[in-house]
Amino acid sequence: MSRPSAWWSCDGAGHLPAFSTGAPTRRKLLGGAAASALAVWAGQHSALAGVTLSPDAAEPGDAHPPHTLVVVFLRGGADGLALVPPYGEDAYHRLRPTLGLASPKDRRAAVPARSLDLDGFFGLHPSLAPLRPLYAEGQMGIVHAVGSPDDSHSHFEAMAAMESGLPSAASSEGWVARYLSAAPPPNPSPLRGVAFGPGLPDSLRGATHAVALESLADFRLSPLAAPMAEALAALHATSRSAGDDPVRRAGRNTLHVLKVLQRLDPALYRPAHSAVYPQSELGDGLRQTACLIRARVGLEAACLDHQGPYLWDTHVAQPGVLAAQAADLAGCLAAFAKDLGAQGMRSVTVIAMTEFGRRAQENSGLGTDHGQGSVLFALGGGIHGGEVYGAWPGLEPSQLEGPGDLRVTTDYRQVLAEIVAGVRGSEFPSASLFAGMPSSKPLGIA
Amino acid sequence: MSDLEPGGADGASRRDCLRTLGAVAGLAALGGAGCTRVVGRLLPSRSKNDTGEERPLLTAAAAPIARFFDRAAFGPTRGESRQFAQTGAAAWLDEQRGAPGDDSRETPGLLLRLRTLDVVNLSAFDLRDFPDTAVLEQLQQAAILRAVYSRFPLRERLTDFWTNHFNIYARKGYGASFKAVDDLAVIRKHALGTFPDLLKASAHSPAMLSYLDNPNNRSGVANENYARELMELHTLGVHGGYTQKDVQEVARCLTGWTIEDRFLHRRGMFRFDPQRHDAGAKTVLGVSIPAGGGTSDGDRVLEILAAHPSTARFIASKLVRGFYGEGEASKAATVRIADVYSRTGGSISAMLRALLVGTGPYGISSDLIAAPPVLKRPFDYLVSAVRVSEAETDGGGPIQQHLARMGQPLFQWPMPDGYPDRTAAWTGSLLARWNFAAALTTGGIEGTGPDTVWLPKTELVSAFLPNASREEQTRLRSVIAPFADRLPQAAALLLASPAFQWR
Repeated sequence: MSRPSAWWSCDGAGHLPAFSTGAPTRRKLLGGAAASALAVWAGQHSALAGVTLSPDAAEPGDAHPPHTLVVVFLRGGADGLALVPPYGEDAYHRLRPTLGLASPKDRRAAVPARSLDLDGFFGLHPSLAPLRPLYAEGQMGIVHAVGSPDDSHSHFEAMAAMESGLPSAASSEGWVARYLSAAPPPNPSPLRGVAFGPGLPDSLRGATHAVALESLADFRLSPLAAPMAEALAALHATSRSAGDDPVRRAGRNTLHVLKVLQRLDPALYRPAHSAVYPQSELGDGLRQTACLIRARVGLEAACLDHQGPYLWDTHVAQPGVLAAQAADLAGCLAAFAKDLGAQGMRSVTVIAMTEFGRRAQENSGLGTDHGQGSVLFALGGGIHGGEVYGAWPGLEPSQLEGPGDLRVTTDYRQVLAEIVAGVRGSEFPSASLFAGMPSSKPLGIA
Repeated sequence: MSDLEPGGADGASRRDCLRTLGAVAGLAALGGAGCTRVVGRLLPSRSKNDTGEERPLLTAAAAPIARFFDRAAFGPTRGESRQFAQTGAAAWLDEQRGAPGDDSRETPGLLLRLRTLDVVNLSAFDLRDFPDTAVLEQLQQAAILRAVYSRFPLRERLTDFWTNHFNIYARKGYGASFKAVDDLAVIRKHALGTFPDLLKASAHSPAMLSYLDNPNNRSGVANENYARELMELHTLGVHGGYTQKDVQEVARCLTGWTIEDRFLHRRGMFRFDPQRHDAGAKTVLGVSIPAGGGTSDGDRVLEILAAHPSTARFIASKLVRGFYGEGEASKAATVRIADVYSRTGGSISAMLRALLVGTGPYGISSDLIAAPPVLKRPFDYLVSAVRVSEAETDGGGPIQQHLARMGQPLFQWPMPDGYPDRTAAWTGSLLARWNFAAALTTGGIEGTGPDTVWLPKTELVSAFLPNASREEQTRLRSVIAPFADRLPQAAALLLASPAFQWR
């Protein structure tokens, strides 16, 4: 207990979090009658959730999710050929005469223009440097020329298809929602799925026991509503005479989340191992994700969007924009991994993916247009890192596809299914998450 | 206080409803009620019939007029309910379907507010100069103002319905400025007209064409996006009997349907570009369309689709789900409404008459009375809360922020299928509803104010939740009893209550 002022004491032994006494008024919001009302309903079977809630499980620290999946979506089409450049291929340098990154050993190029070597053929964008140790230690793996069969070149279409995980994007459920419901676990947490943002992303669409949080600190009754807390619990309680309905069940779940979250004061969260998160949206989101994981509130899936300081949609002025985007992404992921530590990351898997890559040939505006294949990063528990996976299709004219795109040789669903199976065990119905997925040989990444 | 108790769940009579209304009016006449009176009215009344059996939260039979306005409008107001009680459903519908396709017959108060909005007054081309966020804010403001204050609440309900049926994501491209025109010239203009006219207007709408990438749809490099959604979401339905080949053929018919980008005075308007049009012969759903038809190819497609029995069925089923929910009677009703569509050439007001008017109390459709409750979407929830509490709103940014936090910032659903109507899609945002309810009644939303004169004179449970079941009303009275001296919170609790989330 080296940090008595922090709500979490990082003794590495998995002890219950110690709660700060710093915010007594917040914790009292739902005290008294509301708490007993919660205890009453919590013992009852909830048809909405399909799980039995017990009062004990309502306490942070007592929920044991088997694993936490963290999905970071790079919005706008991230250029895989710049993030993980195939510097060993001549065609790459012909297609990207100004934007291309030089070989790590190219002494003619300035050091900032050289890629960081991964395996003698692929390099890493210099702004992704914070990820290189994770790759070298085998914590992080990369899949190249990965993507979806959607060839619309439309962000909208491609994201919708990718987040549903099904051939028809009209499906109402997201793949992470299906992941959560595929195995009804003995996890009664109201926080099984979390998204940071105003609403659930399409990947979590349809999930029960999932909430969208603008921030942990803001997920609370406003000062105007706070005096109503006890009455709200009474309004949503079941009674013998009035029965139950989905709104009352969801209302109780919301009160449950409030109750769990009020025990956490995110302002007091101190990342471990001297990890420093970048001051950015993704940094805030991952910091709060770590906070929830270490508080053991039962988090199984967190979905975060990475818009970045600019956007990944680099039609123009790519070099500066992409460097800033990559630096933010790498800084955030590295801080997250450092915060949780090698041990903590064993039960956490992070996936960073994008809807499509960009055209192989740079355009006339120092940018790149919408393409097809891109990269996917995976790190943490169950990941066999230190390798760039996937068949490399090549960049010669005959090898490109459509308007000149990197051909997709690995379907993103295959990667996700493999990671899910690796993380949850072979009995987990991972293939059923992605109906209609073409079958293929495992990559070996998980 | 016994005459203040609402009619029993089984007493679906005109007398009960008039009694409730009379009681409300009587209370209003009391004026300046003292504190003891208020406390007395808020105290729980004993339930005479607490048998312990389970009942739904809402029983429309207890308050059919409230049910009617919950479905045909964005919730009841006192004035509208009182007038409806005198005229009945058929006369109300006759008046409502005379609504013009514009604002010309609105009240001066609403007109005054709308006239300050650029989205109502400027063309899409002019609006392009405004930042997207400003256009979107005004669009939402106009939608909220009309939904709360319009003299034609049925048109507003249908506007919401068609806005989602023909969904456009206003954050894509010039979506916001295009959507401003689409809202007036497509959705509102035809909301109560005929479906074929509405469909045709939508197909010529730059907002729709741009949203679904039809400007990229050209001879030789067809873009199927609009063609597919036109059949899947707008007309036939996904099981409506079309094939991938039909999608490709419809896309070919619609090549060259694009947006004017040459002449300044027409820029941003619909344009048919013969250069981009695929002039060859096509076959759509078994119908041959000869070569050389030009823009008439697309017109022919719209005719074929609008006249197709699958379209009649699909539109009928969506309307039935919107008004009746997912009940027992819905299947039979779908057949009935589809038949009305086919007989009337897709008359929307004829379908509405068949849905809303019938043999129940006040001439309300008995299917509507018997239908199961439907969860309010956030827009529905927000507008009905403002209307029932008689709050005033400018519809501006602060109240829109609440709508966004509840998960339904208007015109910002990215997928072409519109905001979902499934219950499960909305139960995750209750916290935002609670915070909104508290802010609304306590004056916590800038530009929106609670009614401080009427509220204190009112028996809140009967006024806010006339169609809550008797058990639920009893429970609500006991929950708000401790708030007798804090009326705004008591009112907020009723708006936050589970029963108020349903309609």
